[in-house]
Amino acid sequence: MLVQMKADLGVRIMARTWAAAAIFVLSWSAALAGETPAAPHAYLYIGWPNDGEVVAAGKPFKVWFGLRDMGVAPKDVKLPNTGHHHLLIDTPLPPADKEIPSDRNHLHFGAGETETMIELPPGKHTLQLLMGDDKHIPHNPPIFSKKITITVK
Amino acid sequence: MPRLAILVAVSAACLSMNAAYAQRSPAPENAEVYIIWPRNGTVVQGGKFWLRMGLRNMGVAPKGVERQNTGHHHVLIDTDLPAMDKEIPNDRNHLHFGAGETEARIELPPGKHTLQLLLGDHNHVPHDPPVMSKKITITVK
Repeated sequence: MLVQMKADLGVRIMARTWAAAAIFVLSWSAALAGETPAAPHAYLYIGWPNDGEVVAAGKPFKVWFGLRDMGVAPKDVKLPNTGHHHLLIDTPLPPADKEIPSDRNHLHFGAGETETMIELPPGKHTLQLLMGDDKHIPHNPPIFSKKITITVK
Repeated sequence: MPRLAILVAVSAACLSMNAAYAQRSPAPENAEVYIIWPRNGTVVQGGKFWLRMGLRNMGVAPKGVERQNTGHHHVLIDTDLPAMDKEIPNDRNHLHFGAGETEARIELPPGKHTLQLLLGDHNHVPHDPPVMSKKITITVK
């Protein structure tokens, strides 16, 4: 009887801990994401180059942005299920609750572009796409592509 | 005085002419829309395929969004180009992608089909000059 009670208590405490942990995780993820909901089945990918591609040095190459089940809208346009492309070069994903930085490693395509030409120095480089909302903040949950590695030589 | 009247009349005419032209949005000369996939001559098995729409030197904006050098995709299926100074028709042969889509799942019956992209402005009217792709032919088996 006593053992049973102890076991019950144990389960209850564990459940409570789990609940607390779940609430913590939920509030944490909410804090670390933007306010614009993502399109439910949005799929973002780099159409070109392929992962592992070797591109010629000294001249620009095309990067085209693939997006399914979502639309493109220029910056400052607030419409459901839209966003604009950002290309991350040689950098990990930035914080999901802040404006995506705008620098040489984070290229913004706020005019609604769906492809670009870039030139990179010889060596290995990573490319990844990340959608931003009208204010350049990632969606909730963030919509990003697989990170690919290319070699320029 | 009559001279002034003529001047006023001429400038009014010019203004109204400008207004008529203004209904078409200007497009950059180097803007180019093209079909990334399928390629010309592709044989599609099963009838369903992803149409990937490519655009150079211009941006995509959903319908109703008036922004310079932007537009939204329309795919013309088994049809010739529509009138360039009117809204692109909206039917089975003219699909609109007013939500800013750059890819679409298309299903066509077996046989030969033509596909062509035509960009429309915020009012679905082709730009000036019109931004259109090459017309391709695919076969559905």
